[in-house]
Amino acid sequence: MTAAAAHGAIPLDAVDLAIASGLVVIAGLTSLALGTGLVGRLAVASVRTVLQLLLVGYVLEWVFGLDSAPAVMACLAFMLVVAGRTAVRRAERTFRGATWRAILTLTLTGLSTALTVTALVIRVEPWWDPQYLLPIIGMVLGNTLTGLSLSIDKLLEDLSERAALIESDLALGATRWEAGRDAVTGAVRRGMIPILNAMTVAGLVSLPGMMTGQILAGQRPLDAVLYQIVVMFMLAAASAMGATGVALFTWHRLFDARHQLRSERIRRR
Amino acid sequence: MSGAPGERGLRARDLALSAGGRTLLAGLDLLLAPGERLALVGPSGAGKTTLLRTLATLVDPAAGSLSLDGQPPQRVGYPEWRRRVVLVPQVPAFHDTTVAVALARPFSFRVASAPFPEARARELLARTGLEASAVLSQSARTLSVGQQQRVALVRALLVEPECLLLDEPTSGLDAATTSQVEALLSDLPGTACLIVTHDAVQASRLAPRTLDLAPLVRAVSQ
Repeated sequence: MTAAAAHGAIPLDAVDLAIASGLVVIAGLTSLALGTGLVGRLAVASVRTVLQLLLVGYVLEWVFGLDSAPAVMACLAFMLVVAGRTAVRRAERTFRGATWRAILTLTLTGLSTALTVTALVIRVEPWWDPQYLLPIIGMVLGNTLTGLSLSIDKLLEDLSERAALIESDLALGATRWEAGRDAVTGAVRRGMIPILNAMTVAGLVSLPGMMTGQILAGQRPLDAVLYQIVVMFMLAAASAMGATGVALFTWHRLFDARHQLRSERIRRR
Repeated sequence: MSGAPGERGLRARDLALSAGGRTLLAGLDLLLAPGERLALVGPSGAGKTTLLRTLATLVDPAAGSLSLDGQPPQRVGYPEWRRRVVLVPQVPAFHDTTVAVALARPFSFRVASAPFPEARARELLARTGLEASAVLSQSARTLSVGQQQRVALVRALLVEPECLLLDEPTSGLDAATTSQVEALLSDLPGTACLIVTHDAVQASRLAPRTLDLAPLVRAVSQ
């Protein structure tokens, strides 16, 4: 701790990584002994973790070195597309046009919340400084895509399995919003659960990732806490806006202007 | 396309219906005049339920047009159309609420122009053989199918539609209750009824005119 406070983050080398990988080997041996059949998957996941993170590390070093706004925007675009596709793929059901709607939602919510933090709270100059913008947008997207995917999943499940109920409202003169409102609010609630859980237990069950990272890098715990509070509020806003945005986009796609439920547009994977 | 000027009632012109990419029937012309009763018969899979859903504008026809008092649905407005042309499905669906809340639900929609008429609801429940004091506080989902059909019929009548589209309205009822429901349906002055039934005798009891979809189905399959 003293060394960290005095010198910042303690750099790790290959030997340190080798020692850490021993922990994964123990997990593998345990799986092998219990016959869980997960040894192969654990090995692949471990190798992927190393390769993906090393790749990201090199890309970030390169982008930081370029100090170029277009390069940062290109990284953002890539992250948004991957996050949007992942959010839609995680859901059990989908519909045509779901991916671009998820990407658009993530773009609007991710950029508005992340830029609020970098430009108005941390006051980074320039606002697109990759050292701040990319990690922050990464956190926002990582958390928001989970909320998005839960929101889409719940809404499509409701619109599929409760189609008769929704049509009974439409048949009695409900507008498409009156008929779909319960499903939309249910989807938003589902999408908000992960961040609400995280906020409820923040610091009690585990130390949040960013705060942990800052403390390990030598930051004072109270300074790290302030950053973490900002991050939690940012993630809460992004999750709420993301879950709501994608639910409204989905609702709009699955109810047409004639106030008809178009559940035939939903397909199972 | 709208109907003829001054025409009253629900009109379908040269209607073609499809489901799952398959054409069920084509060339259907229909006029349901105010207060008229028309029985709809036809073999299973002929498109009787699809026709009712189409007339309620819950699905689009494959071809043809609809009008109500000469106005197409887009001019009437879809929620308003469904308030005037109400579908009662064979197996009704209810939210997880009491019967009282289920009956009041249509009066919470923006299109509603009057408050929930509770006294009328009690009267109509009694006329379908349901005791209001017992049934209003029950969960709508725990009712039998026959009870649900009657609650759905009462709910539809409470909004005072011009046309009722009834899909096998007595399929879950015993003979005595069927008679009560038939008596109610025969005493709805000014409300037109299109009644799907498999029972030819019931068709003749309830409606002076019967529309058989079988020839239209055969024309498509030939």
